[in-house]
Amino acid sequence: MSSIQLQNILKSFGETKVLRDVSLEIYDGEFTALVGPSGCGKSTLLRILAGLEDLDDGSVSIDNIDVSEASASERNLSMVFQSYALYPHLTVRENIAVPLRMRELNSSQRLPFFGSFLTPTPIKQNISDKIFSAAKMLEIDRLLERKPGQLSGGQRQRVALGRALVRKPKAFLLDEPLSNLDAKLRVQTRSEITQLHRQLKSTFVYVTHDQVEAMTMADRIAVMKDGEILQYDTPENIYNKPSSVHVAEFIGSPKINIFPAGLINQNYDSKLKLGVRPENIKYNDGAYRLKVIISHVENLGPEIQVQFELPSNKDRFYSRFDPKYLGHFPVGSKAQIGFDEVDCHLFDDKGRRLDPSRVRQFFESLNQAA
Amino acid sequence: MTSNTNHKRQTRSAWMMLSPAILLMIVILILPILIAFGLSFTDYGLGNKAFDFVGIENYERIFTRSTYKKMFTATATYSVVVVPFSVGLGLGAALLIQSVQSGRDLYKTIYFLPVMASLLAMAIVWEFMLHPTIGVINDSLQRGCDSPFVYGLLSGSWYGLNPQVSWYANGCLNGFPLWLGDRDYALWTICFIGIWQSFGFNMVLYLAGLTSISRDLYNAAEIDGVSSAWERFRLVTWPMLGPTTVFVVTITIIRSFQVFDTVEAIFPDSGGPGKSAYVMMFAIYEKGIKQNLLGTGAAITVIFLLFVVVITLIQRWLIDRRTHYS
Repeated sequence: MSSIQLQNILKSFGETKVLRDVSLEIYDGEFTALVGPSGCGKSTLLRILAGLEDLDDGSVSIDNIDVSEASASERNLSMVFQSYALYPHLTVRENIAVPLRMRELNSSQRLPFFGSFLTPTPIKQNISDKIFSAAKMLEIDRLLERKPGQLSGGQRQRVALGRALVRKPKAFLLDEPLSNLDAKLRVQTRSEITQLHRQLKSTFVYVTHDQVEAMTMADRIAVMKDGEILQYDTPENIYNKPSSVHVAEFIGSPKINIFPAGLINQNYDSKLKLGVRPENIKYNDGAYRLKVIISHVENLGPEIQVQFELPSNKDRFYSRFDPKYLGHFPVGSKAQIGFDEVDCHLFDDKGRRLDPSRVRQFFESLNQAA
Repeated sequence: MTSNTNHKRQTRSAWMMLSPAILLMIVILILPILIAFGLSFTDYGLGNKAFDFVGIENYERIFTRSTYKKMFTATATYSVVVVPFSVGLGLGAALLIQSVQSGRDLYKTIYFLPVMASLLAMAIVWEFMLHPTIGVINDSLQRGCDSPFVYGLLSGSWYGLNPQVSWYANGCLNGFPLWLGDRDYALWTICFIGIWQSFGFNMVLYLAGLTSISRDLYNAAEIDGVSSAWERFRLVTWPMLGPTTVFVVTITIIRSFQVFDTVEAIFPDSGGPGKSAYVMMFAIYEKGIKQNLLGTGAAITVIFLLFVVVITLIQRWLIDRRTHYS
């Protein structure tokens, strides 16, 4: 269990700046997700943290000890790769044994054939016990003699997890571990990884491009874009108090509705933007109304998602409703949608979130005008 | 139309489409092998009107006469020396080239040049270089005798050995070997040329194998605590090169059985001093073509083919055993 400090990390590949002055404090025992669109530098940040990539400037510390110059093997971290990176010529048991053999045996004990005779029995027993308990925990104890080529994607994923947690590392790093699994298995594995985190109480750093994974698994989320961290906060705050338009747009599906504040208040500064989440859009209700046309309806079963179009500029509004209202939305007909002040986010011309007091100010001026 | 006639029609068109390939295979592969196999039991010579079946006489001669014993010894020695060195150097060169930052293409070209060059021409160049009196090699060695540094280095005195008993000191006193003219050196020199010529090819195969190894595996190894280059090689590189190695070794063995150009260029009449470099291919050529003893030549060919088939089968078996390399 360890905390991790990243300070002022700079990294370029040739001319491209991948990370621009990134600082992040990962707290002891927390599940931290690095989330962002592809190319935002989240994987590079994880690899720098792991020691697999050199940094141009800045420092990486584990428990406030600078490890910037330490090699990956010296940092004592575990990592699960997107491709799983299992050794294909070794059985599951041997794969899981590698980190233990490398760290607990000396070089003569690691020799093929002879090494086994040179290893004291208690050490051998200890290693095989650890492998078995890790395998048991992940329910792969019956697959120990198989080779990775004989396993399904989900099983390989578990072996990769097993190899990571068979020793006690300072932190677990996971690089998009679920992206190669099918949708059903992904949901299942998601909860299992969260459960593992609860059991181990260890520090997890999880890289993903999927905001749902970040929201559901993490204690704290760092949203990244173009080599910078936009916001680092709990999932609740990321969702309810997004620091910028980018964060608001990245988290949540369907996307938050962002529209010029001028749409409902012509007198007000037109550079401001309003944001309303789809679930907060009301049908023929709400303090502030817009006249729209129903342009598209999707029935997902547990909810229906309705898209509205403004007659003037074809901007689309996304909303979600209970399926019992399905009959209320004939496509092509006119309708009124609305929302309330409490559900509004106001962003300035640079996309930064404005204080709730400014939101109140905005709506007060609107009411005065009316 | 019933499904039965449909099926028959499909079978017939399948055979029709296969027939050109089958025909070609029979004409240019299977038939010649069968003819060679048949001829190996006769005393046929090219131009003869008739021939007699002599049973296994040709084979009997091959396994009893000392000339053929020399043939097997020369071929086996050549393979046993050339294969490990050529494979090892090929792997070493590939690993070194992989590790350098710049100049990869230059090194690749240099090492690959001998492979592309005509071995016949190269053999003649080597023959000149190795000439006992006017060759550059013995000349250089001779000049080194007068330089204390070179003398000390090559005689091993820097290592604390007695320079007087060394091979180099002996050469300085009594003259350096005749190389290709000496029956103790001739085959080894041919082996050296063979290694020099062939390891660049293995290097290219290994380079291709190395680039196909996933970077993630090296990263995983590093995370797992692998810190030395040797451990990394043992855990990732060598096992992942397994399929490449099986292929490289097989092809090098077969190519080493086929060595002919160097021997023919350097020893056109004899197969080396005291037939010390009388390799199989050269024997087939000498018996079958030069002396027009087609029966004997065919018999050696059949034995040669047998070796190649056995090695190929071993390769197949090794590849099948590694099905997990997916």
